[in-house]
Amino acid sequence: MTFLQPWVLVALPLVSLPLIIHLINQRRFQTVHWGAMMFLLSARALSRGYSRLRHWLIMLMRMLAVAAVILAVGRPLSRGWLALAAGGRPDTAIVILDRSPSMQARDRDAADTKLDTGRRQLAEAVATLGAAHTIVVTDPARPPLELDDPRAIADLPSAGPSAAPADIPRLLQAAYEHIRASAAGASEVWICSDQRANDWAVEAGGWSSLREAFAALPQPVRFQLLAFPQPAAGNLAVRVTATRLERRTADRELLLSIVVSRESAEQSAAEPVTVPVTIELGGATSTVELVVTGREAVLANHAISLGAEAEPQGHGRVSIPADTNAADNEFYFVFAEPAPRRTLVVADDEGVAKGLELVAGIPPEKSAVATVDRVPVAAVATAAWEEAALVLWQAPLPEGDDAKVVEAFVNRGGQVVFFPPADPDGHEFAGCRWTEWITHPEPLAPETWRTDEDLLANTRAGAALPVGELVVTRSCGLAGEIVPLASLTGGGPLMGRVPTQQGGIFFCATTPAPRDSSLASEGIVLYSLVQRAIDRGLESLSPARQLDAGAAAVAALGGTGRDAGAGWTRIAGSTAAPVDASGTQPAVYAREGRLVAVNRPAAEDQARSLPADRIDGLFQGLMFSRQDGRAGGADSLVQEIWRAFLIAMVLALIGEGLLCMPGRQRTRAAPDASPFGAAA
Amino acid sequence: MLTDRQPRSFLDPQSLARLAGVPLVARTPMVGGVSGRHASPHRGSSIEFAEYRKYVPGDDLRRLDWRAFGRSDRYYVKEYEADTNLRLCLVVDTSGSMGYGSAGTTKLDVARRIAGSLGYLAAQQGDAVGISCVADGIVQSLPPRRSPAHLRLVFDVLEAARPDGGTRLPEVLHEFAETIRQRALVVIVSDFFMPPPELESAFNHLRFRRHDVATFHLLDPQEVGFQFQRPTRFLDLEGNASIFADPIDIADRYHRAVESYLAELRRIVLASGIDHHRVLTTDDVEQALARFLVGRASGQGARR
Repeated sequence: MTFLQPWVLVALPLVSLPLIIHLINQRRFQTVHWGAMMFLLSARALSRGYSRLRHWLIMLMRMLAVAAVILAVGRPLSRGWLALAAGGRPDTAIVILDRSPSMQARDRDAADTKLDTGRRQLAEAVATLGAAHTIVVTDPARPPLELDDPRAIADLPSAGPSAAPADIPRLLQAAYEHIRASAAGASEVWICSDQRANDWAVEAGGWSSLREAFAALPQPVRFQLLAFPQPAAGNLAVRVTATRLERRTADRELLLSIVVSRESAEQSAAEPVTVPVTIELGGATSTVELVVTGREAVLANHAISLGAEAEPQGHGRVSIPADTNAADNEFYFVFAEPAPRRTLVVADDEGVAKGLELVAGIPPEKSAVATVDRVPVAAVATAAWEEAALVLWQAPLPEGDDAKVVEAFVNRGGQVVFFPPADPDGHEFAGCRWTEWITHPEPLAPETWRTDEDLLANTRAGAALPVGELVVTRSCGLAGEIVPLASLTGGGPLMGRVPTQQGGIFFCATTPAPRDSSLASEGIVLYSLVQRAIDRGLESLSPARQLDAGAAAVAALGGTGRDAGAGWTRIAGSTAAPVDASGTQPAVYAREGRLVAVNRPAAEDQARSLPADRIDGLFQGLMFSRQDGRAGGADSLVQEIWRAFLIAMVLALIGEGLLCMPGRQRTRAAPDASPFGAAA
Repeated sequence: MLTDRQPRSFLDPQSLARLAGVPLVARTPMVGGVSGRHASPHRGSSIEFAEYRKYVPGDDLRRLDWRAFGRSDRYYVKEYEADTNLRLCLVVDTSGSMGYGSAGTTKLDVARRIAGSLGYLAAQQGDAVGISCVADGIVQSLPPRRSPAHLRLVFDVLEAARPDGGTRLPEVLHEFAETIRQRALVVIVSDFFMPPPELESAFNHLRFRRHDVATFHLLDPQEVGFQFQRPTRFLDLEGNASIFADPIDIADRYHRAVESYLAELRRIVLASGIDHHRVLTTDDVEQALARFLVGRASGQGARR
């Protein structure tokens, strides 16, 4: 419980006033010479239990009445989740909203979503607290918004639902920057979230520095979390995992892979559910029924005939009936004929170059076309970069203009795999450089590699690549910041990736040459990683791209602000979304024959909530408290409860009056004095 | 007949004149030395016929009933009731507690008026009057005598009585029961602040000795009502003890104790056949005495 006027609590010692008056009264006694001592002695000998109890109860009631008056004047606030001492009115209230799709969930019997409920409750709470400044942070890419009336939070367009994950650390960073820049006084940061792991990004590593930054602020900052950790009951999500356009004899055919998944693992044991999946494509609607028995149901390569005259690209939408979360009931997809699988090979070793050309030139499917261009190191700048999906580079790292060309290629979404040159020269690219060749006396085998993602991940069927069967005789040392994908026995790197916003930069510490490793002879690993890299690179070349809503999609569509999406036209999607919401709302955009579909990230379909103690650990050392809310909950987070204290005071006074009323015995002894004598 | 010319503060001549119209009679036969107004257990020469008795040699021939002889040819002697005087023993409690009076009049003042008035009325009708002042023991005592001069002494004792000391009334009553030789009317004026079982024993002892016992139970209204408002230190009038109490806190239990005591006393006086009268210090003493006298007059003539 906190108070809007906590200084009134200074008067709390007045609670002892009844006690003091009682003690003073005790000292103002009179002296009487008394004859009937035998009755007094008898009275003292009689049971004093109830009398003494009543005496103390009367005292207690009086003290309660005084305390209730003082507390009522202090204007107490009911803040069930704020187990903190009286804090008073904050100078700045910063509201951080998790607007991710999972926050669109609602209870079966409630109309409001988690986000709506949180916005409404926070609006009431901040308005009741009466902070001098109210700031809303909804997007790390936008400046915090100051509101004149805190109640506007509930209706703020930019605080509406989004398809992008929330990225709580960056939102907190924005809040921190605002507090520091505005030199605000005592601040309260209110976070409304459903604690999804992908929104909180606890693995990102920035939390410790964020904690230290907040702790170092001179002004007190208190964090309040309004959490909605309950998964949406019975929620199903639909997603298109792959689209492929194929030509069968005369017709074009679209192969759609659709997944319908249950939100939480607990629902997996539930009864099988038959879900009608509606596919809208080119104005036509078809329905496919999927039976979800376990965690998810997959409809792989569902063929839809487009006709002989169909456009080589297009877009559509799949949807399922409404359930407890409307945000994951539809998914936009785009498709186009795949671009040619063009690979550039830059190598100074002829043997290595031939091996790389071989693995890059064989397409994984018969219908695909793969081309490989050998580019001399000197002619790098003039190569056909704009059509390439992958560059295999076994030469000294690029520098100067070559480096710029490669960087532009990567920023466009292209992939580069670097192999060590014969003679490392110490040049650096993307923060990494080759050091020197190491010849291993005993051939080494890869000890660990990442099987969950990236180029060496397990196959879709779940089988691992035979990376462990490779033999490495020579490897080249690597220096710089790199995310290891595979390590040799003894800890030396075999393969790594440089973190990038777009595209991919990979380093492989050995070459396919027989003198260096068995990459060529055990060709499965090399072939897989090269073809996977080509697939990734093709995504940026394809005229139809699927993007996850978020910063990447915003960047791809031209940034944020009023000019967002410049040149791009929204051809499908919710028209109710704000104009400047490109990249954060599910939609399909088109520009100059290219199509982009923006949808929620796959992680939003998985209800992996962080446990409460994990969240508490993130705010360790800071003033933090939390309360679990419920979607559609009508309770206010903060409300003035002085009326309750006045009622308590009245009740205490009534109780005191009842206890002070004379008992039946007190009126019984006196009147029977004289009639008795006459009767006897 | 009253020869005491000295004005006494506890005597009201007008009140006594009004009360003199009702005789003071005993509820039981008295054994007196001279003729009086009270019934005697013996046969005497009053005009009230009692019974026939067979003539035995030695009887006075003047008391032979010749009419009865004429009817039955047997000798019968006609007997009449005897009237005698009574011995009024006034027992006045002069312990410290009798000095309490919340309205200006102490219980001892009321006791003086009651005892003095009864003594005067008894002397007026020729009865013997004696007095004993009792506190820790017998403070002052005069045996019953009929002479008017003796009544003056009784008044002197009453006037000189002062409330002091503790109460040993039951023991003194036991002593009186043994030492008063003939039947007497014993009037006890006290606040009876002592355990009722002790009183019961003393009353039964007196009744066993064929004494007619009457009690005036004096109480102050404050002692019954206990209407104090402030915390009070109560100093014992019969000792050095003191009790500090908040009346608001203790009043209900005090009233319960008083009520229990009065109920017990009522049971005792009913069981012992005591003529019991409770008088508050604020009550009209004349009315209390009139009630006492009238109550006795209605039972006149009882003989055992």
